Amino acid sequence: MLVHAQDVRKRYGKVTVLDGANLAIEAGRVTAVIGANGAGKSTLIKCVVGLVAFDGKVTIDGVNVARRGKEARRRIGYVPQTPAFHGDLSVRETALFYARLKQAPRAAATALVEAAGLEEHAAKPVGALSGGMRQRLALGVALLGEPSVLILDEPAAGLDTHARLELRRLVAAQREAGLAILLSTHCLEDVPYVADDALVLDQGKTVYAGPAAGLASTGLDGSRLFLRLNGHSPEALDLLRGNPLAHDVQHSGEWVVVNCAARNKAQVVEALVAAGVSILDFRVEEAPVDAAVERLQSLQRGLS
Amino acid sequence: MNGVTTIATKELRDALRSRWLFAFAVTFAAVALLLSRVQADAGDVSAQGFNRTTAGLINLCLLLVPMLSLILGASAIAGERERGTMATLLAQPISPAELLVGKYVGLTVAVWGAIAMGFGSAGLLVALFAPLTDVEHYLLFVVLSAALASATLSIGMLVSVLADSRVKALGGAMLLWFVLVLLYDLGAIGLALALSSSGRTLLAVSLANPVESVRLLAVMSLERDLDVLGPLGAYLTERVGTGTSTLLLVGGVVIWTVAPLAVAVRRFGRQDA
Repeated sequence: MLVHAQDVRKRYGKVTVLDGANLAIEAGRVTAVIGANGAGKSTLIKCVVGLVAFDGKVTIDGVNVARRGKEARRRIGYVPQTPAFHGDLSVRETALFYARLKQAPRAAATALVEAAGLEEHAAKPVGALSGGMRQRLALGVALLGEPSVLILDEPAAGLDTHARLELRRLVAAQREAGLAILLSTHCLEDVPYVADDALVLDQGKTVYAGPAAGLASTGLDGSRLFLRLNGHSPEALDLLRGNPLAHDVQHSGEWVVVNCAARNKAQVVEALVAAGVSILDFRVEEAPVDAAVERLQSLQRGLS
Repeated sequence: MNGVTTIATKELRDALRSRWLFAFAVTFAAVALLLSRVQADAGDVSAQGFNRTTAGLINLCLLLVPMLSLILGASAIAGERERGTMATLLAQPISPAELLVGKYVGLTVAVWGAIAMGFGSAGLLVALFAPLTDVEHYLLFVVLSAALASATLSIGMLVSVLADSRVKALGGAMLLWFVLVLLYDLGAIGLALALSSSGRTLLAVSLANPVESVRLLAVMSLERDLDVLGPLGAYLTERVGTGTSTLLLVGGVVIWTVAPLAVAVRRFGRQDA
């Protein structure tokens, strides 16, 4: 087990922000920590990296983070939620500085700049880079020194669709390379595509821990499609109501509203088009994480 | 290259890029030139050129070196926190102690460099107007200034670790500078004299302030007769002895260098990034 967290608790004064979280990530597996703002995702990640003091136990490849933090962090590549570098250092200097800290060869720093697609900006101060470029540099820095664990705190935050797809590819590539990956997100849509396992936190408490696919079966990663069809199209409504991938089909004004799992929305639309229904306009709303957590809790209450 | 060396090298490079150290060196050289010009105009060039310039530079050094060092030290950790770079740094395979010590070493070498440049250029300028006598006093004062920089940087680092923002750290540093450099003579020493004018009390009060300790060491190196120090001078000469006094004062500066840094390392290691 590359990452093992046992009963991790963190308090700030009298406020408990993390209440007994557990994690176990093997090589080549991805765990997503899911939760709304203030759920304790970043705190759990900071505990795993050893950036904050905590109760409980975290080991990275068997090395205790609290006792041998430096040795544990040699195995970790970490990208914070908002990557911050020394703005006056150039991209090249930044890569070299972190390569030295990680005792990685100089060539690795040069390769980092190339892999991040920042060769043209190598002489620029980091402060002059765009947010996306800084994110790529942070990912490159995290992968310096060939870590066995990659930790990404809200990597998808603020990314456009293209960048999010790029991020999914990167996570998949690192998983293929055998890294254990821990990432936090409040974007449920990404979870089935990037994660094998999920840990859902709400106000520091674990409300779900298990396979990411298990989350999809609860409909938590739901999407809501708003379709403007040509006329009322009762045939289309029948088609949608008969589609096992779609549920809660409603008609609202000129819009037809359909709920489905995030990963199935393309198939739902495809089925309509294949049946000759013309779609004049559409928009998609992803289920907000707090609503999903609420639903998960109510499902759990129903089960108990 | 280990963590301490990497951080120290970066800190040194940052310091060299900043305008503070350059301004410090230029100020020193300019004041030294002014002092030697004044002496030359007064027809007092021949005899004790370096000695007099050294004496003239003491007060300037006691003002500027602690100010520069306290400010640089206070910015070191609080600045990283404010920029958000602290978490990135501490997520690397480096311990908080290595980060702090690396920053201290880098800043210390940078300030030593500035002192050497300031005194070096000042020395060259003075040598144009005065014979090369008493150079050893001049060099000794360079060493004393470097020691004062080490101690006040250490205090500045502790302030930086304890403060929760850069503004508060800088405010704390300036307040400390005011107390250690300006208020101490009037306040602590005045109070000590009012309570007990014994040399022992005055020595204890002097040891409690690295600026005062360095001032005494500088005076002791320049003046054979310590009457200029009043009852403290008499106590140091007659009761303690010059050698023991020197050891005590040097020991005081060393403690002021090591102790705040040790406390800072301990506190920093327990703080959340």
